[in-house]
Amino acid sequence: MIVQITDVWRQYRMGGAEPVAALRGATLAIEAGEFTCLLGKSGSGKSTLMNLIGGLDRPTKGSIEVDGIELSRMSARELSLYRREKIGFVFQSFNLVGSMRAWENVSLPLVFAGVPRAERKRRADEMLERVGLARRADHRPTQLSGGEQQRVAFARALISHPRILLGDEPTGNLDSATSEQIMALMVEENRRGTTIVMVTHDPDLAERYASRIVRMADGAVVGDTRREKLFATEATEKGTEAASQRG
Amino acid sequence: MSWIAMIGLALGGLLRKKGRNTLTMLGVFIGVFALTMIISLGQGLMAVITGTVSGDDNLRQISLLPGFGIKQNDKPEEIVIEGDMSERRRERLRRAAIARSQLRQTASGQSLRLTEESLDELRKLEHVQSIKPLILRRYQVDFEGHHSDGTQTFGIDYARRHPESRVIAGRYPSSNEADEVLVHEYLLYTWGYVTEEQAAGVVGKTLVISSVKGAGEDNPMPMPEMSPQDLQALFRDLKLSEAELAAVATLSKRLPEILAKLRGGEQRRGIAIRRELKIVGVLREPEAGDRFNLLEDGQSTQADLFFAEGLADRLLREAAGSGDVVYQRALVMVDDPSHAEAVEQKLRDKGYTAFSVATVLKRLESSLTVVTVILSFLTGIALIVATLGIVNTMITSVIERTREIGVWKAVGATNTQVQIVFLIESALIGLGGGLLGLGVAALAMLPGDIIARNLIAQRTSFPYEGAVFILPLWLQVTGPVLGTLVAILAAIYPARRASRVDPVTALRHD
Repeated sequence: MIVQITDVWRQYRMGGAEPVAALRGATLAIEAGEFTCLLGKSGSGKSTLMNLIGGLDRPTKGSIEVDGIELSRMSARELSLYRREKIGFVFQSFNLVGSMRAWENVSLPLVFAGVPRAERKRRADEMLERVGLARRADHRPTQLSGGEQQRVAFARALISHPRILLGDEPTGNLDSATSEQIMALMVEENRRGTTIVMVTHDPDLAERYASRIVRMADGAVVGDTRREKLFATEATEKGTEAASQRG
Repeated sequence: MSWIAMIGLALGGLLRKKGRNTLTMLGVFIGVFALTMIISLGQGLMAVITGTVSGDDNLRQISLLPGFGIKQNDKPEEIVIEGDMSERRRERLRRAAIARSQLRQTASGQSLRLTEESLDELRKLEHVQSIKPLILRRYQVDFEGHHSDGTQTFGIDYARRHPESRVIAGRYPSSNEADEVLVHEYLLYTWGYVTEEQAAGVVGKTLVISSVKGAGEDNPMPMPEMSPQDLQALFRDLKLSEAELAAVATLSKRLPEILAKLRGGEQRRGIAIRRELKIVGVLREPEAGDRFNLLEDGQSTQADLFFAEGLADRLLREAAGSGDVVYQRALVMVDDPSHAEAVEQKLRDKGYTAFSVATVLKRLESSLTVVTVILSFLTGIALIVATLGIVNTMITSVIERTREIGVWKAVGATNTQVQIVFLIESALIGLGGGLLGLGVAALAMLPGDIIARNLIAQRTSFPYEGAVFILPLWLQVTGPVLGTLVAILAAIYPARRASRVDPVTALRHD
């Protein structure tokens, strides 16, 4: 069990009145190597749950254990190191730094890890190669298409070889063809053994790629389906083809 | 933690808003520039003063002048108003008595004169090595049809031979007693000896000095010659008649005699003297690089004739006749500069007027320090304004980059690292401004030195060739370090704000 979420609550105080609960006693266990989709409408708490797993946020109450370590008891610094070493994020809006070249964006996590520049460059190039953007290393985000930007973000998320890759609607801003490429990369990474937790509100996408679909509503888990990996494998081949045709 | 990587990140942030960050940096530049210039000038001026004055035994010298004396029973605290009256009235009368006692003190005249006896008395004081009267007298001078009333003469310390290096034609007097004189080039110039050859031509000739009419020991300035028109203008308010004006014109010429008489003429039997002196040399005005000596150069700035003090003293005695020889000024030499202040105080306690170079220097130094500190504070305001500019720029930068900070945090930046990046950014602004301020100040000192030297040359009679602005190593370091420190302080709040950015909010898709 890589992630164990037990009766987690997350409340926000908005303007001081009644606290708003984004999570109301969510409980979920994720096995290492799973490709989990958190499916639900907006406001169901799926993003909040993902942020908690990623250590960007802390629960109001309840327990989140990752790799046997209780996150809610970590200090801010420990959480930073946890994110740096174990987690990779991919966001809907890419969140690249506009003034940095592609390779600099990819290597940003290594800056804070204290990796020397030459090695950062080498590893960033390696990652860009893997997402098919070797020739775009010196481009700035504005010079890249949406799909390329998300692939750069993907390379950034994976450069520290995280145990868990978290995707918050990673294809939300992309057309269907580019979405396929990104999903193919996700599946490929999953095959390498990385646990993937992806938030989406698109049931079709979840159906096609996830090995497990967790449905959420009103801040709690309301459905949990494990699936054959067969679909994912099939899709992976299709996606990889699409990616290689483009790249 | 990789500092180089963090500095790179900070630099990248700075370069993104070049214009804004340059303007912010200019604020620091102005502050550091002004501060460096002012402190440098303060340092330089102090060096000018001490450098000019501290050599050549100047710090062992005390100028001694006649004093008003001190009347023990006139001390304010000892004045008592007696009688039956209210305390308010007693206090009023006491204040009136003090005011009048002070008037009596000043009106009592120069009750402590510098005579041979009084100087002998003072020579016995502890730490006093020697006391030498300085003889500055005015004589009428006649030379080849040129006449001047009241030319200042100065008795030079023959043995020290201090002005010898300034003799540009002829030679130094042959002895302390010889009837020989050095003429200042300026007097010759006013007489029409314009070229150096013409000036040198007077060497070997004879001039005549005679005592100023009616001059006893007081040796007052003669009245200036005035035309009837001048007098009419001067006395317009008084509406004098022609006859009265004529009388004034006549009387004004004999005013010194009349004044001497009014002051108690019979005690002061001045004798008119007349003496032929051989011109042995021409003395030039001091130049930059000349050794500066208070004894010679400080007292003789207005003198036109210089002769050995032996001769000066002899002339003074002859003029005094049977009266006391009274000096106007004397020079006290103490055994060590450290005793100058104490001896000066002792002389003052006795009622003389005395001031030592050391004390003047100390006073100058402290007032210069005060001025420098005050000006530095004023310039400090510029630096404070620059600081506010930095705070503003950094906060704006943090707000603009909230999402980027969110990304940093998501990829594993600690709060400390986020803070450090912004502190480095700000420090770089401060360092840049500080270095620029130092560099421009160093450049500005080149013309600054020339301007300051010209000012010194215009305002004083002592030329100066050294640097007026000095930039010691500690001052070179101060500017950039101060700029950097101030910038880091300014960034503390914005950096903390950056570190508190909530990544969830910052990264939310909108």
